[in-house]
Amino acid sequence: MSVVTVQLGQCGNQVGQELFDVISSDAQDGQRKTYSSVSRERFFRQTSQGGKKMRYNKNKAPRGFYYDCCYVGKVLKYFFFFLRVPDFEARAVLVDMEPKVINHSMNRAAKSGRWRYAEASHFSQKQGSGNNWANGFRVLGPRHRDAVEELVRREVEHCDVLAGFIPMMSVAGGTGSGVGTFVTQCLRDVYPSSFVLNHLTWPYGTGEVIVQNYNSVLTLAHLYQLSDALLVHENDAVHRICSQQLNLKQISFGDLNRVIAHQLAGVLQPALTPDSCGAYSGNPLGELVSALACHPEYKLLSACSIPQMASASIAFSTFSWPALLKHLRQMLIANTKMEEGIDWQVRPPPASAGRTSSLTAGGFNASLANLLILRGKDVYSAETGGFEDPAIYTSWLPPAEALSLWKSPVPFDKYEKSATLVSNSQALLRPLDDMVRKAWNMFASR
Amino acid sequence: MQRSKAAAGVEVKRVIGALCRLLAALGLDPVPAPEAFRRAKFGGRPEGDPFWQLLSSILHMSGIISSETSSQLRGELRKLVAAGLWQSGYHADWIYGADAGSFCSRDLLLALGWLLAKGVLETLLAGRVEQLDQTLLSSAPEKPEFSADLELDAASLRRLQWLMGHLRHRGRTLLSTIGARTRALHEVLSSSQVCSAAPSAGRSSAALTEDCFSLQQLCELLDAYVSWKQVEKVFWTWMDSVADRRLCDLRDRTSSQGVSHSLGACHQGKQRLEEMLRGPAQQQDVKSGDADWAVASLPPSLSSRLSAPSVHQMCRARLQAEQRLRRPSEGPHGGAAAPGELPAPQAAQLLLQAETELLQRRDRRRLANRKQLQGLMGSLDQQVFIAL
Repeated sequence: MSVVTVQLGQCGNQVGQELFDVISSDAQDGQRKTYSSVSRERFFRQTSQGGKKMRYNKNKAPRGFYYDCCYVGKVLKYFFFFLRVPDFEARAVLVDMEPKVINHSMNRAAKSGRWRYAEASHFSQKQGSGNNWANGFRVLGPRHRDAVEELVRREVEHCDVLAGFIPMMSVAGGTGSGVGTFVTQCLRDVYPSSFVLNHLTWPYGTGEVIVQNYNSVLTLAHLYQLSDALLVHENDAVHRICSQQLNLKQISFGDLNRVIAHQLAGVLQPALTPDSCGAYSGNPLGELVSALACHPEYKLLSACSIPQMASASIAFSTFSWPALLKHLRQMLIANTKMEEGIDWQVRPPPASAGRTSSLTAGGFNASLANLLILRGKDVYSAETGGFEDPAIYTSWLPPAEALSLWKSPVPFDKYEKSATLVSNSQALLRPLDDMVRKAWNMFASR
Repeated sequence: MQRSKAAAGVEVKRVIGALCRLLAALGLDPVPAPEAFRRAKFGGRPEGDPFWQLLSSILHMSGIISSETSSQLRGELRKLVAAGLWQSGYHADWIYGADAGSFCSRDLLLALGWLLAKGVLETLLAGRVEQLDQTLLSSAPEKPEFSADLELDAASLRRLQWLMGHLRHRGRTLLSTIGARTRALHEVLSSSQVCSAAPSAGRSSAALTEDCFSLQQLCELLDAYVSWKQVEKVFWTWMDSVADRRLCDLRDRTSSQGVSHSLGACHQGKQRLEEMLRGPAQQQDVKSGDADWAVASLPPSLSSRLSAPSVHQMCRARLQAEQRLRRPSEGPHGGAAAPGELPAPQAAQLLLQAETELLQRRDRRRLANRKQLQGLMGSLDQQVFIAL
């Protein structure tokens, strides 16, 4: 089943491009053919005609780049040959009110050589939205509705079976938030039975855009009704990962985007779910949403993954599942997104004490539901008992229903063992509170 | 005139044939023949009538009579039918047991008409279609009864909402999976050349033939229903004529009854008179006349027996007429000539007197009703009464 991403605004387009990059490189590096084919079917479509002619040079070809017929590849190692290679086009629609970012993303994609964006699946205008949510939602959205719907429809027609949509946007700007909300509404209207999982990027607390809190609050209010689940990445948290985990000195948006793309790909790549009966799960969006966002009032999801380290250091590290899972569990409970500086003092409250729902009950982060995705070697021997502790969940949803476990024996993105945790928990309450408070203060002081 | 009547007769037979076909397709065996319907209109014997069977099976199948009642009254078909008809709102005199003598097949026919008008055909059709058509999804399960005083526990409510959402998402995922499966199946079937008797979806050929048969039945049923619907109007006009006949019957009976009540003295000697009259009547030739009892017309041959009109004789005439009316089942035998006197003009005069009396009574009642209505209208404030 295929997933169509709708990249909206500057942030959405940049993150989307990084996401497809990670996915395509992961799929090609993967040893297992099924995994690669499922992943490719999910995110790309093959066009064998009109493919680029590539000169196959064994020294310069990216590692792991093979033509479909393996024996041909072996023979060609000794020849310089012109090949017509199948092109992978991303199942994506790019929407922005200015052309700059879209062109940049499309060029970068084409340069990678492994995949590209389809020529006609982008839509842009000359002028931006001016960071104005209402401009995007009420003016630009309806004005360009038909064009965008046409692009989406064409992309859906290329899919054999549609699993759902992933609109990607940031909530601070004008296009991503305003037009993005409107496009989500259109998707909901036109495809009522498909899943819609919005990926949101929350801005820095000390933000770039002055009206970002207004935009965020308005976007969230609308998306709560329209979307099935909202998967959130906060710039602040990702920035900390970049600076402390990855030891980057000059952190650009590109670095942030790569981290976000890595975590998102860790969620969306094929995995074996309890319901998929030994095959890779057909509908990842459906399974994710039914594992985490069943209650209509609790739709905000956050993600964290382990390990996160600079690619240079990967070769020198060894990983063990017990250590990884222990760290991940503490990251969940203590509400940090990275392994550095985990507060090991935070414990779930003992069962004898009454359940408190306050935010600062010892800094403990209670979860409603968790989705744990394990990828890599020896994944079937991983002990996940720590996540089944009833103390970390609410009283009305037992751990058997609250915890979902997905596994994949294929290593992900160069990590021998990696785990991603998507949780529906109190982790986003504080940033949300801050956002609403600031918006209200700004509004009240007009 | 005769030809149009004949054409109308043929048309009616066709229409009733369509109804019989539909009833048979609904599974209500045995169904009486169209001829039986026509005979019933003119008043046949009610005993051993196929209409009893038909009515009881209709009532049973459409759920008007519950299965407990039917098991209780298994042997007594009449009671069953009477109970069922009363349940469905048909309150005829014969159900109450009164007027047992004037009961005939026509009443059963009218009861059938009542049930048809009530829409029992549609109920039966829906039930039968559900039985036959296996592609229909079964109806949603009954909603469980909740007691009025539920304690709203916030935790359980949240849990319930969670589970509902979970189910909804699963349902949507399942839908997309089924779509994928259908597409794959379509590709396989359209591309493969295999047309051997390979079992499809794990069902054997016996099951397939069963399916085929029930589909055929379903088609027949729907066809019968459609053809019935097209000619339904004719049936109702015919049914009107049946009801008209009955009304005429009733009118005559009530009018004659009214007259006899006004002549109260007759009733004392009623029994003796009957015996006396029966004696010579049996010696008479049975006139197998037309069984058409449209009008209680007194056969002209009796007028020859006229002697001096006397009250007793008139009573006798009335009684004879009454007896004749009460025993129409004796059809041809009912033409047994009444030996009594037949003062036709005086009988006519009496009848006219009774008629005027009844009309006066009716007018007085109407006036009283109107006055009452006007009083009511006056009392109602700010409302206008529009008479249709």
